[in-house]
Amino acid sequence: MDRNRDKWVEERLAALRPDGEWRANVSRGLSRLRERRQLNGNRKRRWSWMAAGAVAASLPLMAFPTTRAFAQRCVSVCVGQSNWVHGFLTRNASSAVPSSVLVKPTERRMAPDFVLADAFGKPVKLSELRGKVVLLNFWATWCAPCAAEIPWFIEFQRTYESAGLTALGVSLDEDGWSAVRPYIEAHKMDYRVMLGNDSVAQAYGASSLPTTFLIDRSGRIAATHVGICGKGEYEADIRRVLDERQ
Amino acid sequence: MNACEDRLDIETVFHAHYERIARVIARVLRDPSRAEELAVDVLLKWSRNPGAQGEKASAWLYRVAVRAGLDELRREIRGSRRESLVRFFRPSPTPEDVRAAREDQDRVRTVLAAVQSRQAELLILRSDGLSYEELATALNLNPASIGTFLSRAEHTFRKEYIKRYGPQ
Repeated sequence: MDRNRDKWVEERLAALRPDGEWRANVSRGLSRLRERRQLNGNRKRRWSWMAAGAVAASLPLMAFPTTRAFAQRCVSVCVGQSNWVHGFLTRNASSAVPSSVLVKPTERRMAPDFVLADAFGKPVKLSELRGKVVLLNFWATWCAPCAAEIPWFIEFQRTYESAGLTALGVSLDEDGWSAVRPYIEAHKMDYRVMLGNDSVAQAYGASSLPTTFLIDRSGRIAATHVGICGKGEYEADIRRVLDERQ
Repeated sequence: MNACEDRLDIETVFHAHYERIARVIARVLRDPSRAEELAVDVLLKWSRNPGAQGEKASAWLYRVAVRAGLDELRREIRGSRRESLVRFFRPSPTPEDVRAAREDQDRVRTVLAAVQSRQAELLILRSDGLSYEELATALNLNPASIGTFLSRAEHTFRKEYIKRYGPQ
């Protein structure tokens, strides 16, 4: 029976033999192989040239301070926009519930202290704000997602000031007060805004904008929001930190 | 390895294996010229895969060739299912078309596309004349189990064929 089955299957499979004395055309195959290899080689070369072109174009861009600043700004805008998109996509899912980024009081680290001058030249020292909950926002005038958050911070400052909230804005604009002061006036920012520097930004790890920290009454970081978040999420965090016992 | 050596290697392998690889694929496909194209694709894939070179080259080439042929066959069959509706509105085939249909081959190919890939690979390579040892190397199977695998594959093929076309 097994032998018969083998034979039966073999007979069927024998139908697959290519017609007559068919043989693959070797010379056609060889020329096709060479052509394809040539094509792949050309593609690799083209990519190499494009990479070399990109490097050549970026070298002069990075060589001069003005063009370098422009490039940095472009990169920051891209990063900011991607954060905004991420925030937008996750906002609906998280707006109804308290933020999950709120750190337990026992696990919080101290917020790095700083002294920065505000728009009136008056120094603001973070450690002097102990006893208050501080909403510390790193932003810039060219950052579109930051602009979306600013009206919320104005509102939080007005609503929760009596409960002990202080909103602080740290601008990382390279153009300094000449860019920031008109912006403050135009957006009616009535909370304190300071001009930041690299050391403060680095101490907080604020590498993309906006980045916002919620600091509890003991000067410890209770929450970190990188990129734009939902207004409800911010507000829920603020209320919970305000309600905490010192 | 410089470009010249590389080229020598792939062309040496081409001369050693191209015809047989193309024949294996041509067994599976209706179109022999497509089989030649796929054989070149398999050789190019081999040249880009350092793990496939050296002693394993021959086994790797047969394995990948038969898989490439089966994949293409399944694509063809899916495509022809889609076209069957269109064909419904076409005029009846001419006697030449009927002769060209090669019904037997089409039936065997359809059954091969329907059974498990590993079983189809075994049957195709076996019908191409590979010994048990060669089959075991090409498909990474235990040489002692080849007989059992082959027997199961034949049984499955027969069952599937009869299910579709009746005992003949």
